[in-house]
Amino acid sequence: MARETAAAKQTQSFDEYCRETFDFKKAFGKPEALKGYRVLSCTQYILGPSCASYLAELGAEVIKIEAPRRGEAMRHTTPFNEPFLYPLSRWVPERGTGLGFLGANPNEYFTSVDFHRKEGQDIVKKLAAKSDVFVENYRPGTFDRWGIGYRQLKEINPRLVYAWLGGFGGWGPGRVRASYDILGQSQGGNFGMTGKQEFLGGAPAKHTIWLADYWGGMMAAVQILAALYWRDKISGEGTFTEYSQVHGVTRQLEYALPLYGRHGITRERWGNWDTQLCVHGIIKCGKSSYPQSENPQEQEEGYILISAYDDKDFARLCQTVGDGNLAGKYAKQDIRIQAKSQMEIYPWLEKWAANKTKEEVAAILDKANIINQPVWNSKEVANNPHWLERGAVRWLDDPTYGDLLHQGPAYMMSETPPRLKWALKPVGADNEEILGKLAGLSAEDLRRLEEQECI
Amino acid sequence: MATPKVAPWPAIPILKPDEVYAGLSDQAKEYPLFLESITRQEKNFEKPEALSRLRVLDCTTRMMIGHWCSSMLSELGAEVIQVEPPGGDPLRQNTPFGRKEYMFQDKETGEEVGGQFLHEMRNKLSVTLNLETEEGREILKKLAVHSDVVIENGPPGQWDAWGIGYRQLREINPRLIYCWVGQRGQWGSLKDKPGRLDPVAQAACGFVHGTGDPKEFGGQPTRSALWVADHVGGTAAAMGILAAVVYRENVSGEGQFIEATAAEAIIRILDYSWGWYSMDGSIRPRYGNWDLAINIYAVNPCKDGYMMVGGGHDRLWYRIWRTVGDEQPAVEEDILGDPHLREVTERLAHDMQVKTYTMLGEWLKDNPRSEAERKLSKQQVASGGVLYVNEVAEYPHFKYRGHVAEYDSPHYGKILYGTTPFLQHKTPGRLKWLGRPTGYDNQDVYRRLLGFTRDDFTRLSETGVTHEEEEEEL
Repeated sequence: MARETAAAKQTQSFDEYCRETFDFKKAFGKPEALKGYRVLSCTQYILGPSCASYLAELGAEVIKIEAPRRGEAMRHTTPFNEPFLYPLSRWVPERGTGLGFLGANPNEYFTSVDFHRKEGQDIVKKLAAKSDVFVENYRPGTFDRWGIGYRQLKEINPRLVYAWLGGFGGWGPGRVRASYDILGQSQGGNFGMTGKQEFLGGAPAKHTIWLADYWGGMMAAVQILAALYWRDKISGEGTFTEYSQVHGVTRQLEYALPLYGRHGITRERWGNWDTQLCVHGIIKCGKSSYPQSENPQEQEEGYILISAYDDKDFARLCQTVGDGNLAGKYAKQDIRIQAKSQMEIYPWLEKWAANKTKEEVAAILDKANIINQPVWNSKEVANNPHWLERGAVRWLDDPTYGDLLHQGPAYMMSETPPRLKWALKPVGADNEEILGKLAGLSAEDLRRLEEQECI
Repeated sequence: MATPKVAPWPAIPILKPDEVYAGLSDQAKEYPLFLESITRQEKNFEKPEALSRLRVLDCTTRMMIGHWCSSMLSELGAEVIQVEPPGGDPLRQNTPFGRKEYMFQDKETGEEVGGQFLHEMRNKLSVTLNLETEEGREILKKLAVHSDVVIENGPPGQWDAWGIGYRQLREINPRLIYCWVGQRGQWGSLKDKPGRLDPVAQAACGFVHGTGDPKEFGGQPTRSALWVADHVGGTAAAMGILAAVVYRENVSGEGQFIEATAAEAIIRILDYSWGWYSMDGSIRPRYGNWDLAINIYAVNPCKDGYMMVGGGHDRLWYRIWRTVGDEQPAVEEDILGDPHLREVTERLAHDMQVKTYTMLGEWLKDNPRSEAERKLSKQQVASGGVLYVNEVAEYPHFKYRGHVAEYDSPHYGKILYGTTPFLQHKTPGRLKWLGRPTGYDNQDVYRRLLGFTRDDFTRLSETGVTHEEEEEEL
């Protein structure tokens, strides 16, 4: 924004200012933060692809290299095997692209190369010579064996930031173990702590998203950006980064490790309540918000988060709900937070909410200025004006697949906003352009390599 | 109270390299040893830090998202100054079930801090500053002159109204990168609906509704035990900040305004939920510990706990059932004989998932986690038990690689913690210290950056700018 307009902006209300500054529809009128950076993404599933896609949102030219023909596994993965994106691909004529691929690869260029073959490896080397970042998530040592690992590529291009991502890391006793997101969650420690309390009949619960993958990719992107800064500002040198998803999960266990180390106490599941604050938990409201719906997701009762852990907030909550008895008994946070207290407080709130929908509870609490948040399902989120006006969820006119509701980038920037250009493309859609431009393949080369299924 | 007797960590010694790579040919161990030589955390201090030239003011309080964001930067070398209200961030007081005995006590002053706050106070300095006073805000402006990044989480527009928002600070320091973090956003129709801490964001983005068992299986919407949306949102904020740093250094020479919310970071990673809804109106359902889009890929009960088994494609499918068939041939026969389980894609139908895991359960119920993993690993199938924290802390692979480590703090004694996953060849992330008492760095920071004198400290302490009014000590 030009300096001279600053004074004028000052008179604008803060809300107006933010709406204008962060308007995602104006993103294309602004520059991109990573313009000019080239990223090669030799990745599959979610962890590696999502990492590269975050850089693509920021404007890097991200070239994804997949196995020829069928492409990577997530293209063939979709909930209950029902929804598919069309048009059909030449290689999978009976079915479209599975939704598992959606969200992990936006804004990328799609090429296909067979890494197993010498000719394919030569193409990768040519691309790597002209790239800033190389992301891969094959089993440790595979690319090294193929002559396209860190040790070989840094000879070709010493400025390359080589990022390896995977489950357990490339060295140590568990290095050969295969991993997926769910295994990262299971063994990293957050799975065992999540879910209903043991004594209430609960069991450990998986985080519904591929959290260790999608968030792990974000962590690795942070690491890559720091490495680029260090290269460009200070050293001129590339580097090798290793991100283990299970390591990431263990990093986020909050007080669990300090508590275990000091007292030998193992943090256990505490369901929808909170171990450190009360009231700060999710309760059931007795009534469905959509009793007429035929969808079981909507027929079920509503749930709402209530947060009133400061003493004065709790006092107001008691006034609102109407039980002077508990107000006195649990006036202090250090009494309320005890396990036995929580077991009396939350059932009391559920009893109060038993004849209400989550919206009714929210309206009452809003009026009393008590923090609350109804538990929204994906339909409620997708239709919420707040998320739509902010572009968190937005309609995309995808050049290949047509109209799609799609998530926006995870954060906003005033001057170089991350943006969404397209959701995905078919396997090898950009072979001609990218391999011609960067690896010098002629029309004849492209035809021959495609016939040989090398690209 | 008497300190309970706890076995020192590690209870079982950490493996040595010769034990880990015993029996391997020179060729087979060459690559992992090379990786180990370039990424082992013991060598961190022989290497520079990527962000050592950046200074960050983390002014967030009562919320984890900002602390998580600044941790990402401080682990990578930025000088992060945690600006706390006098008396400290109220998050310092959080401790499981309110138990004071689980808090960590500063040896010198006796001040206590909860494990969660401590775990994120890595490599950060602590200063106290009361932003509700005019003079406190003036001091913040002066600190902003010396900073590359400011992170705040005030109510929407609060800092702007105070005269220390992005619009004002950029006039003082055009290179400043200013980041606001929160649960749902500082603008938009929900901006005035108060939020503060996760799981507000988890509930607002579809995560809670989608986590847990379906109602028919006795389940209900379930939050993460962790303030996980704050972690993801904080990581997203760090990504935006570093992109802005790169752009400032390479192109513009100027900073910018960033906003990151915990809810939107999760919306970004709720994979295909939005596309699916727009195609046929489907609402993402809860599917417990199974997966909507991959079979076999699930956690199910086993003899001594819960066991993850995964194999989304044919090769692994047959290996899994061969392993099961070694002990229960009838189960393998039944599965392989079912025409509806022959195609990878047909296995995704709900009924087929029920059958798959019911049959797998027949085998899992006789196998404890370690046995199941041993047998499946022989077939190169991804598998492993759900580990509890005590098991995570002692897991041989994690200990060998240093995922879990102990830090001996001059203030708090020995602390077990989860290390940074930012392993790297040239500029790895690292832990330099963990935890600081409230305002411990007031003298250092205010003298070094703003040239405060003894008189300044006395005055500011007495007027409640750096200390709570009742406090006398300097």
